[in-house]
Amino acid sequence: MRTTTIAASLSLAVLALAACERARYVETGSPEGIISVNDVDFQDILKASSGMLESLGETGVLKTARHKPAQLIIGDIVNDTSSRFDVGELTYRMREQLVNSGQAAVVTTFGNTPEDKQAQEVLRREKFLKGETAEPLPDPDFSLTGKITQVKRTAGDTKQATYTFRLTLTNLRTGIEAWTKTVDMTKLGNKNAVGF
Amino acid sequence: MKHARTASLFVLSAIVASASLLATSGCGTVNTTSTRTAPADSAIDAKTRVNDLFQEIFLSAKEVRMNRTKGGPMEVQVDVENNGFSYRTFAYRFDWVDASGNVLQSQTSVWKSTNVPSGGSTVIRSVAPTDDAADFRLQIRRADT
Repeated sequence: MRTTTIAASLSLAVLALAACERARYVETGSPEGIISVNDVDFQDILKASSGMLESLGETGVLKTARHKPAQLIIGDIVNDTSSRFDVGELTYRMREQLVNSGQAAVVTTFGNTPEDKQAQEVLRREKFLKGETAEPLPDPDFSLTGKITQVKRTAGDTKQATYTFRLTLTNLRTGIEAWTKTVDMTKLGNKNAVGF
Repeated sequence: MKHARTASLFVLSAIVASASLLATSGCGTVNTTSTRTAPADSAIDAKTRVNDLFQEIFLSAKEVRMNRTKGGPMEVQVDVENNGFSYRTFAYRFDWVDASGNVLQSQTSVWKSTNVPSGGSTVIRSVAPTDDAADFRLQIRRADT
C-alpha cells in the first residue's frame, strides 16, 4: 500500500514537472528557441545576416572599392512580409562585422535623409567655414538596398512559409549592381513550437 | 510447450521489427550517385570528439574540405551523411580561429538548422569572417526526431 502511494506521488511529481516549463535563458539564435511558422524569428535574421556576410567575404566585392576600406551607404531595405520586425536587426549585425573588421566604413551623413543629421550639419558647417562650395564629403563607393519577401501556402492544417532575404550592393561609380545575394528560409508546421 | 511459445513470439517480434524497419527506411530515403571515388584535392584530416553516440552512428561528418575563396577568406565544406532510417534534422555552428588558435568573434558564427534525408548527404559550409582566420571548429547537434 505504502509502495503504491510513493509510486503514485512520484508519477504525479514527474507529470507536474513535465507540464510546466520555467523561464530560462537560452543563447540568442540557439536552435532551442521558438520556431514560428507565420513569423520571422530572431534566429532567421541571424542566419540571413550570416549568409549575407559570408557571401560578401567570399566574393571580395568590397575590396574592389576605390576607398580602403570601402565606403558604404545603407539604403532602404523593405520588409514586405506580414511579420513585423525591424530590418535594422539585419543591417546592424552586418555593419558591426564589416566596420569593426575594417572591411567597410558606413557613411551616415549622406543624402537628404541621413542616418546622422547632426553629423551632417557639422560637416556642412566645416565646409562653409573653409569656404568650400563643392561636395567633398562624403564619397561612398557602394549603396546597400534590399527586400524581404514571403510566400505562404497551406495544405489542410499544415502551413508553409518561405521567407526570402535579398540584398543588393550597387557600385555608385558605375550605377551597376556589384553584388546580390538571396537567403531563403522555409518553415513548415501547423503551430509554433519550441526548437530542439 | 512453453519454449515453443517463446520461440514463436520471438520470431513474430523479429518479423514485425523487420517490417517496420523496411517501412521506415523506404519513406523519404534517397539513393546517391557520385562519380568521385577519392577524397577531394582540398580534403583535410579532422578529428571528432563524440558525446552523442547515436549522432555519430546515424549522422556523421564525412569529408572536410578547406580552400581559400576568390575574395580572400577561407571556406570550409563538410559532407554530412545520414545513415539512419529517417529524416534527420540537425543544427550546426562553425567557429573560426586565427593562426594562434584564438576564436574570432563574428556575426557569421550562428547556429543554423538543416535536415538530411535517410541515406542522403548534405554539404554544410562556412566562410571565414576575415582573411586572418586559419582554422575552424564545427559543432553539430541533432534534433530528437
